[in-house]
Amino acid sequence: MSPELYIIGGGVLVAVVVVILLFKAVWRVAEPNEALIISGLGARRRGEGVDSLGFKIVTGKGSAVMPGFQTARRLRLDTRAANLQVSCVTQQGIPVHIRGVVIYKVGDDFVSIANAARRFLDQQDFMTSAIHELFTGHLRSIIGNLTIEDLILNRERLTSETRASAADEMSKLGLVVDSLQIQEIDDETGYIVNLGKPHAAKVAATARIAQAQRDQEATEAEQVAAANMAAARRDARIKEASYQAEIDRAQATSRQAGPLSEATARQEVVVQETRAAELEAQLAEQRLQSQVRKPADAKAYETVTLSQAERDARIAQAEAEARETELRAAAQASQVKQAAAAEAEAVRLRGEAAGAATKITGEAEAQAAQARGLAGAAAAKALGLAEAEAAQAKGLAEAQAISARAQALKENQEAVIAQQLAEQWPQIVEAGAKAFGGVDHMVVLNGAQGVEEMLAKALTLGGTGLGLARALLNGTGPNGSNSENGVKSAESRE
Amino acid sequence: MVGKQGRVTGRIGPGLVGEVMITIRGGSEAFYAYPSIPDEEIPVGAVVVVVEYFPPRTVYVAKALL
Repeated sequence: MSPELYIIGGGVLVAVVVVILLFKAVWRVAEPNEALIISGLGARRRGEGVDSLGFKIVTGKGSAVMPGFQTARRLRLDTRAANLQVSCVTQQGIPVHIRGVVIYKVGDDFVSIANAARRFLDQQDFMTSAIHELFTGHLRSIIGNLTIEDLILNRERLTSETRASAADEMSKLGLVVDSLQIQEIDDETGYIVNLGKPHAAKVAATARIAQAQRDQEATEAEQVAAANMAAARRDARIKEASYQAEIDRAQATSRQAGPLSEATARQEVVVQETRAAELEAQLAEQRLQSQVRKPADAKAYETVTLSQAERDARIAQAEAEARETELRAAAQASQVKQAAAAEAEAVRLRGEAAGAATKITGEAEAQAAQARGLAGAAAAKALGLAEAEAAQAKGLAEAQAISARAQALKENQEAVIAQQLAEQWPQIVEAGAKAFGGVDHMVVLNGAQGVEEMLAKALTLGGTGLGLARALLNGTGPNGSNSENGVKSAESRE
Repeated sequence: MVGKQGRVTGRIGPGLVGEVMITIRGGSEAFYAYPSIPDEEIPVGAVVVVVEYFPPRTVYVAKALL
């Protein structure tokens, strides 16, 4: 390869590079979201005449821009958003603070692009604030014509009003409103809240009614379910109880089977024991009968028999004795009779003898007695005389004593009685003791005390006699003449 | 523009500024619309034909004879 070729090749390459660089420097391409505004030499479109804009608009393709002669500016066609904040008053005079957003763009037709380019090309960032101001004013007028209800509910009316008021101006600016949104309505008076309240209350009421109804239904269903559950539980419990009762019964039966059999067995045992006890009792009875009663009976019989025998023997003996006595008496009687006869004979004989003797003796004795009687009579005569004298003297003395006693009675009767009592006491006691004299066998019930009582009674009996005597004395005492009688009676007794 | 068909997106009527969407330049654009027949009302959703075009974005429309 020759060096020329390299040079040529390099030159071509450089030329190509240069051409590319030149083309890059000249050729400008518009992106889909932008428009090239080319102004300068030869930028006027053909055929537009005097009416031309004086600049060329290129969209969606490339165009050569001669550096130095022409300038190409880019106008963005994409969407822009402007936040709106408006404090305004609605048709009803309610102050509201509205926050919204307007989404807009530069129109896609050449007229809009030309209008927008002329107004905003160097100050595209200013576009948003301009739009903000524009729409703020328009919204004030629009909201002034609307009510809050329209604002909230009738977006179509808002957009149509916005369009109606802003259409011309947006056309002037070459802008297109894609969307206008009210984001927030600050209602200071609480109108919106109150506006919603009836509906909210209605909705709440409806909701509560519905909830209550559902609750009611649910509660009814629950109650029905609960009732069914309770019924089922009751049935189950009843069944359980009956089964349990059966189980219990069976268990009880089985539990009682043991004791029952035991009791039966014990009963039999008891029966047998009772039988055995009865037999034992019978045995004991028999034993008693045989060991005690029979012997006792035998003994009693023996005793009775013995006593009867003894009695009979005694009777027999007594009879025998009586007989013997009788016989003996008879024998004696005969013997006595014989003896008496003999004695009578003897007595007769003796009497005859004695009579004779006595006759003799009597005669002798009569003589002796005659003599002795004569002596006795003389002695008795003397003795009687003596005694009569003594009695006379004694009677005189007694009379004197009686008179003295009467005298004393007059003075002290009691003393005399006492004296008499004292004098008569032995006789009284004797009289009392005489009561016991007839008693040959006395049973004293109360021992010595009884004897004392008995004696006292007897003495009292004697005492009563004494009392009687005393009464007699009392009755006679006062006269004084009775004493004389007493003396006389005493004398007559002499 | 004239003769193109579009769909009403804002009610057209007397005293109102309506809106129609018209397919143009490979996309669709919104145009302010007025009725070509005075006092005619065209509801939203109706298909209209552009009768007149007033740049930049105003058209007069009539109901399309579908």
